[in-house]
Amino acid sequence: MEQLVTTLFNGLSLSSIYLLVALGLAITFGQMGVINMAHGEFVMLGAYMTFCTQEFFKNFLPESIGSFYYFAAIILAFIVTFGLGCLLEKVLISRLYGRKIDSLLATWGVSLILQQLVRTIFGAQGVNVNAPAFLRGGLEVNGLTFSYNRIFIIILVAFCLAMVWLLVNRSRYGSRMRATMQNRPMAQCMGINTKKIDCITFGIGSGLAGIAGCSVALLGSVDSTVGQNYIVYSFMTVVLGGVGNLFGTVIGAGIIGFSSIFVENYQSASIARAIVLLIIIVFLQFKPSGLFTIRSRVLDEGV
Amino acid sequence: MDMLTKPALNVVKKSRKGYHITFAVIALLLALSPFLIDGTSLVQFLGKCMCYAIVGIALDLIWGYTGMLSLGHGLWFCLGGYAMAMFLKLEGTGGKITDFMQTGGLDALPWFWTPFGSFPVTLALIIVIPAVFAGLVGFFVFRSRIKGVYFSIITQALTWAVYSLFMANSKYTGGNNGITDIASVFGKTKGEANRPNLLLLFFVTLAVLVLVYLLATYLTGRKFGKLLIAIRDGENRTYFSGYSVNSYKNFIYAVSAVLAAIAGALFVNFNGSITPTQMTIGYSITMVIWVAVGGRGTIIGAVIGAFFINLCEYNFSSGILVEAWQYIIGAIFCLTILLFKGGIVGIVRDNIPSLIRKIKERKKPAEKEAA
Repeated sequence: MEQLVTTLFNGLSLSSIYLLVALGLAITFGQMGVINMAHGEFVMLGAYMTFCTQEFFKNFLPESIGSFYYFAAIILAFIVTFGLGCLLEKVLISRLYGRKIDSLLATWGVSLILQQLVRTIFGAQGVNVNAPAFLRGGLEVNGLTFSYNRIFIIILVAFCLAMVWLLVNRSRYGSRMRATMQNRPMAQCMGINTKKIDCITFGIGSGLAGIAGCSVALLGSVDSTVGQNYIVYSFMTVVLGGVGNLFGTVIGAGIIGFSSIFVENYQSASIARAIVLLIIIVFLQFKPSGLFTIRSRVLDEGV
Repeated sequence: MDMLTKPALNVVKKSRKGYHITFAVIALLLALSPFLIDGTSLVQFLGKCMCYAIVGIALDLIWGYTGMLSLGHGLWFCLGGYAMAMFLKLEGTGGKITDFMQTGGLDALPWFWTPFGSFPVTLALIIVIPAVFAGLVGFFVFRSRIKGVYFSIITQALTWAVYSLFMANSKYTGGNNGITDIASVFGKTKGEANRPNLLLLFFVTLAVLVLVYLLATYLTGRKFGKLLIAIRDGENRTYFSGYSVNSYKNFIYAVSAVLAAIAGALFVNFNGSITPTQMTIGYSITMVIWVAVGGRGTIIGAVIGAFFINLCEYNFSSGILVEAWQYIIGAIFCLTILLFKGGIVGIVRDNIPSLIRKIKERKKPAEKEAA
């Protein structure tokens, strides 16, 4: 029983991290159809932003507000990656619409540059982010410990998910965004500035990656390749859930997170990784377009 | 994608001749290079470049021609590389178990290592394993009509999965270190004393490169090649015209995997080791960079790109530029994709003829004035 609860908690925790990384992709890839290979690097930048705010608070601000650095870091990470995302969209991706594979490759070039940039500034050695005081330790229930930072990440993810859902489905901007992505020429006729929508949407997706970076920073040392560890899984999450479906992404992250943890109980982490990926590949045999798909009769969906 | 109009078709015909001439020049230069270069390290490096060129051709066949971008060709490269390395390692130990197996706690050779004791079997397996594996992957992937970026993501995930397996089973594969300390098929190649061995290896690799080039141009130069392009530009139209698109895709994917494996097997001989690094996604995408920069869909572009990028890297890998190199390669890549879709070959092909015409026209008035 205790074993089961721990496993479920770990599974929930891992799923929520995958979900947070994949949430940004669900917007850039799922809604816009852009494969952003630099998404992992935005996650990494978010993690480094957390480190920077931590150092700033440590050196320039009184110690009493020291542990609030983490909230400042989340906001800063979002703003920085949002800005970079908008810039990337304007400079590179907006010129490559309709050439999806090319945009994939071009963003890979960007990710190489970002990785080296971080190495140049912070050095090749990883840096460490200390969890703020209120996240140290854990909640004890019946002799089981649930670490606070994992609980915090789960809450953060739930919050982000709710915000994204509200933004996409309940806001004026969201309806414009969906209109643009579903029928661009018609949206333009209705007076929607689709270029602006593209830019902001991509920015939001990237900003979510930045927030994901903040939570990744809590889990271990941060170096220039930290984003690469998540990128394959998060792409698989979006594909598994069905591209363009937020609910599908949640389920996809859950399946990947929980199955990884369950397999890890019996096998080493690397083998678990391989098994889970193979299961997904086999699964896609039966549901090639993911769990939840938007029914469409279009033959060539501009792949 | 771009449809070919009639004048464009003429350009294609003319430029194909140009490609062959360029390749002949490159091959000739390569054949002469060992006699012009002192020391063995550069020769060894050129040997590796030829292997990269073969992978480039393999990628060009499926990406440049058929429009399927594989982000996991490092997998096939490594399957070939590991097969060859296993044979060479067993040569070195005399068929006994290896050092990493001992540290892993094995006391006998695992059953799947034993076939690699014999050279002919190894050669056969280098071709058969990737062919069967890629054939199976292709069968399932293409059957469920996974294409475009989804194909890229699947190949990427597959490579990552196998990479994890190789890393995890260190007592069978050498784990993170890979298989190291191996000589080439023709004996040791390091050092001046072993130069004849290196030269033999070099020319065998050159011969393979020429053969692969000829095979690729043969495949793409006939109706089969036209069909690949048709699949790239309008898969459903090709499908509705009555062609079994999936079989074509599957065949070319398997061919490409085998070519990459052959390149990997040759590469091990020059490199003296194989590690899972060569299987990472980053390494696999680097291979795509060679093709993109050289010029996709031209075969010769893959060769030029592989040599160009790697020679640059070789020269920049020492001194102050070592840090800058990552920026440069990232920028080259973005700019090529953004501005020069045809890569180096595209720039030359599209600009040189009009340049020649301009020069001719400039000469004509001058001649008239003289008359």
